[in-house]
Amino acid sequence: MFENTEVSKPSARVLAPEGEPVEFIYKGRKFHIHAVISRWRESGGWWNRISDGNSHLTDKNILESLDDGARAIWRVEAAPEGALTTFEIELDEITKTWLIRPTSRPN
Amino acid sequence: MSDPNNFIHLHVASGFSFKYGTAHAASLVERAAEFEMKALALTDRDGMAGAVTFVQSCEANGITPILGVNLSFLQKKYRVTLLAQGGKLDSLYRLLTAIKMNSDQNLITYEVLEKFSEYSKEVLLLHGPESELALAIAARRSAQAISIYNAGRELFADQAIECVTHQIGGDGPHSTPYAARSLSFARDHGLPAVITNSVRMLDRADGPVADVLDAARQLVPLNIKNVDRRNSEGYLKPGSQMAALADEVSRLAGERTGRGLLDTTREWAERTALSPRLDVGIGQIHLPEASVVGAKSRIELGKQLRDRCEAGLGKKYSGAQSVKAALRLEEELTTVVGLGYETYFLTVADITDLARARGIRVAARGSGAGSLICHVLGISGVEPMSHGLLMERFCSPLRGELPDIDIDVESARRLEIYDAIFERYGDNDWSRPGNQSRCATVSMVETYRARHAIRDVGAALGISPMEIDQIAKALPHIRSRNIGKALENLPELKGLNLNTPILKMAVALAGRLDGLPRHLSMHPCAIALSDIGLQDHAPIERAASGYPMVAFDKDGVEAIGLLKLDVLGVRMQSAIAYSLSEIERTTGEILDIDAVDLSDKPTFDLIKSTRTLGIFQIESPGQRELVGKFAPNTFTDLIIDISLFRPGPVKSDMITPFLGTRQGLRERPIIHEDLREILDETEGVVVFHEQVIKIISTLTGITLAQADERRRELGTLEGQQIVCDWFFPAALAKGYTFEVVEQVWEILRAFASFGFCKAHAAAFALPTYQSAWLKTHYTAAFLAGVLTHDPGMYPKRVILDEARQWGIEIAPIDANLSGKTYLVERSENIGRAPYLAPDSKSSGAALLLPDARGFAIRTALSDVGGISEMEVDSIISGRPYIDLADFVYRSGASRPIVESLVMIGAFDQLHSLATSKLNRRDLLLHLQDIYRLSGSKNPATNSQMTFELAPSQLHASGLPDLTASERVRTEVEITGMDISAHMLEFYGDFLNSIGAVRSSDLMKHRAGTCVLVAGVKVALQTPPVRSGRRVMFLTLDDGFGCNDLTFFEDVQNSYAGLLRNSWLFLARGVIRRTGPRGISLRATAAWELSVSYEKWRNLNLHERARDA
Repeated sequence: MFENTEVSKPSARVLAPEGEPVEFIYKGRKFHIHAVISRWRESGGWWNRISDGNSHLTDKNILESLDDGARAIWRVEAAPEGALTTFEIELDEITKTWLIRPTSRPN
Repeated sequence: MSDPNNFIHLHVASGFSFKYGTAHAASLVERAAEFEMKALALTDRDGMAGAVTFVQSCEANGITPILGVNLSFLQKKYRVTLLAQGGKLDSLYRLLTAIKMNSDQNLITYEVLEKFSEYSKEVLLLHGPESELALAIAARRSAQAISIYNAGRELFADQAIECVTHQIGGDGPHSTPYAARSLSFARDHGLPAVITNSVRMLDRADGPVADVLDAARQLVPLNIKNVDRRNSEGYLKPGSQMAALADEVSRLAGERTGRGLLDTTREWAERTALSPRLDVGIGQIHLPEASVVGAKSRIELGKQLRDRCEAGLGKKYSGAQSVKAALRLEEELTTVVGLGYETYFLTVADITDLARARGIRVAARGSGAGSLICHVLGISGVEPMSHGLLMERFCSPLRGELPDIDIDVESARRLEIYDAIFERYGDNDWSRPGNQSRCATVSMVETYRARHAIRDVGAALGISPMEIDQIAKALPHIRSRNIGKALENLPELKGLNLNTPILKMAVALAGRLDGLPRHLSMHPCAIALSDIGLQDHAPIERAASGYPMVAFDKDGVEAIGLLKLDVLGVRMQSAIAYSLSEIERTTGEILDIDAVDLSDKPTFDLIKSTRTLGIFQIESPGQRELVGKFAPNTFTDLIIDISLFRPGPVKSDMITPFLGTRQGLRERPIIHEDLREILDETEGVVVFHEQVIKIISTLTGITLAQADERRRELGTLEGQQIVCDWFFPAALAKGYTFEVVEQVWEILRAFASFGFCKAHAAAFALPTYQSAWLKTHYTAAFLAGVLTHDPGMYPKRVILDEARQWGIEIAPIDANLSGKTYLVERSENIGRAPYLAPDSKSSGAALLLPDARGFAIRTALSDVGGISEMEVDSIISGRPYIDLADFVYRSGASRPIVESLVMIGAFDQLHSLATSKLNRRDLLLHLQDIYRLSGSKNPATNSQMTFELAPSQLHASGLPDLTASERVRTEVEITGMDISAHMLEFYGDFLNSIGAVRSSDLMKHRAGTCVLVAGVKVALQTPPVRSGRRVMFLTLDDGFGCNDLTFFEDVQNSYAGLLRNSWLFLARGVIRRTGPRGISLRATAAWELSVSYEKWRNLNLHERARDA
């Protein structure tokens, strides 16, 4: 699954106007988030990053690497923009025929 | 929408959760204040040591404190949080005490809860994510969860389900889904639920510190398995974020908003709000009840104090003095009764009486010596009036705190006094509610400083233990945030690459541990006393030593108004007591050292001779130099001497003007006639706090008590300005000229912060004088006391040599004669002539010095290397021994000890080696025979003794005896002392031939002469000096006294390593005369003595060979 991971700057690729992601671009396609299934936060493991032989670390980024790599994770249901459409499905109760017509894109 | 500022954290761990919490209690309070929170809880793990500090910060920040404690419940893996209800903090304290005193693991058990339910029923309980109940919910065992809750219904005032989300992944404890599930559980069963953040950090960024603490606590390296946290959310979040979390949890639990959860949390905060004054008792006073000292009421108490004081006064004063004393007593009693401190004085007097009744020497230390009440009650031995000591410096109605009395006792018997106090004021039954103990020891918070910090961080990061050890050992005792800077300057670490990322990381992290509490231990000398409500004011636990201990430190104990008494063990008091017992044992004379005249000329002659080794306070090289310059003549001089010899006066150079005037080189500065009497004794220089107080009082007309308040204000720069603004108009109004006021102000400003409490110095001067007096008149008994109790800074071999110099014979360790301690004996051998102070023009009249010829000091068995106390006792109880074999069979000493004893001559007398052909090597061979025949390494433990195989007769084997120098070497190896002769004696020829000067002859040389001296290193000091340049002081003992050498920076570089690493020295220096008998050497070179000796010997051999 990792080969499918895209790393991107959240500001550039994820639209999160109030801190909560709403839309994102993945493999060139824009996705819209329909539901947050769960979300959580992780951090830690900072000690592995220094013993990995990063001997080029300067004083400054040693202190930064103490910042623990905090991350927030959202597990979401999303679909490419436009892929999800609202339809009206109409049953003509007299003729018993079905009518299907798109109404509008959900925001 | 609820106001986010109304959120209150009910579960917060500070650094007082040792090796768990990352934040200082005060920082948490300050942050809560920034968030405008109205209250904050402190619920540390396993104890409440931070409670007082926390409440004090809360009070200062206008925040209502809430107190609780987080403890293991049933098993180590479960934890719950207990909270005190408002007005019922005492119940939590008592419950915590009960838990701590009845379980060695800080574990709550149902047994303890049932036994102490009268306390637990007043306490609130939170079932948080680490509780057994939470784990049952997590495992979806609802029935089990509710039965756990039901079990607590009878035992606690109330219980709540504590919902916590740190937003970790998954659905276990600390995840949002789990928090929602526990909320649903509470709702399903109609139980109260609150939300907390289970805080252990101040900021998100503190995560790594938390990890290091987790690793340090568990003594494991950092690994994801060993750290508690999965993210950094356990910090003190603002109310808005907590409200958002409450919403999230509640929605997931099917509620519309988090309002319900937040409302209950707020309700619980209100139920647990405490008053710093009424609940915690800040600023209150809780002294032992009148009944403890046998009084029925306050009035009776006052009468008892008066009666005891007057009785004491009658004994200590007579004539005109007693009239003056009675007036002073009246004033002091008015103050004490007005403050309600009667029991304070009676209790302290009771404790000094307890000690004296057991024959233990006691002396008051500190400002208490300024009080006549303390003197007449027998608490303090110093007479306050004749020394101008002030009660106001010690206790005044203007100060809102209990006065502080410290008592010095014989170090060897200090715990006897503890036991006596606990017997009288304690209550040993901790297994039932209602313990009535009035006393406990006081705790001490050990905090992270450089060494511990780097060790714990290093171990957590998995840095090699050797490397960490090397760094830690090289570090001075500094704050851990300064490690980085210190490392750059440590030459010891030049071999290490300090620039690796991991070491840099370690240094950065160690800096972040700076000052965090890491351990609670027992204060070495403080005891808290109170009424039977002691445990309502403070929780108590058992210290490692076994004594009950208040969880608060000295400051905490004082803040809640308990009587805090320091009982300090002073080795000199033991040495004095031992000397007195030796005098009585050898002469039958019972001396009352506390009654000796304080103006004994021979005693001051000895002090002036600078031969003060062994004497309290004035034996160090620096003090010997000072008494040499100063030449004290009176007890007051001794008080001044002790006051001058401290970093403050030394740094501000108070000594030079004082000595200048004293020696007549400088005119005495008298600013105004009114100050003459105050400053007369100190040559016009301000030395004492008492003088500052009197000057302020004289110039402005305020009372002494008020003047002392002003003096205290002078301690800070701000305060100085305030006092300055007041002082000028006040003194001018009294009619003093501007010049006088200005001059006086300059002195006050300059010296107030360096001055010393005269009462304190006087209290120190008493044992100084007493030890000097004993050394003068009972030299052997006194030095035996010093050798036995080792009170000073010098190694025993130096004291032994000191004894030799006064003509005392040093008797070897002897199988039949040596004791556990150093014993005084009469000696037939008249030893060498004792030291005579050389007369010189500037040194004034000849000094009368002791002559201790005819006495011997028998060296003690306990100084044999490796001997155990049991062996010493068993050797002594088996006496007398008829020969070596008898000793081997019966003494219980192990074989290596017996061999050591043979080697140092302990059997010489028993086998009359001096008058026979036998020697110690023969005895050793004989010893081998004895062991071989007995077939056991330790025949003493072999009950089946084979008597038919008697050891072969002792006979001369023809092996050569040890030479004199071999004997000395063996003595030093086995006992650390050169007993039969001074080490330098073997270099006598060499030293004579090169013209080295004996220390006792230095006075005969002119200042500026360049001389060679030699000796054994006694002390090497590098004290901070005024100029900031490093100076090394080397003291060499040459068998005739001490040579004090100063190495200034210009010569240090060449010799510093040699000075540190060698033991025997030859040195060259220029004589400096510093006062009537002050002499020291400015060193210009130093060599290792043995190296110089070898060169000389080889040269001699060459010369002899050439001459031949």
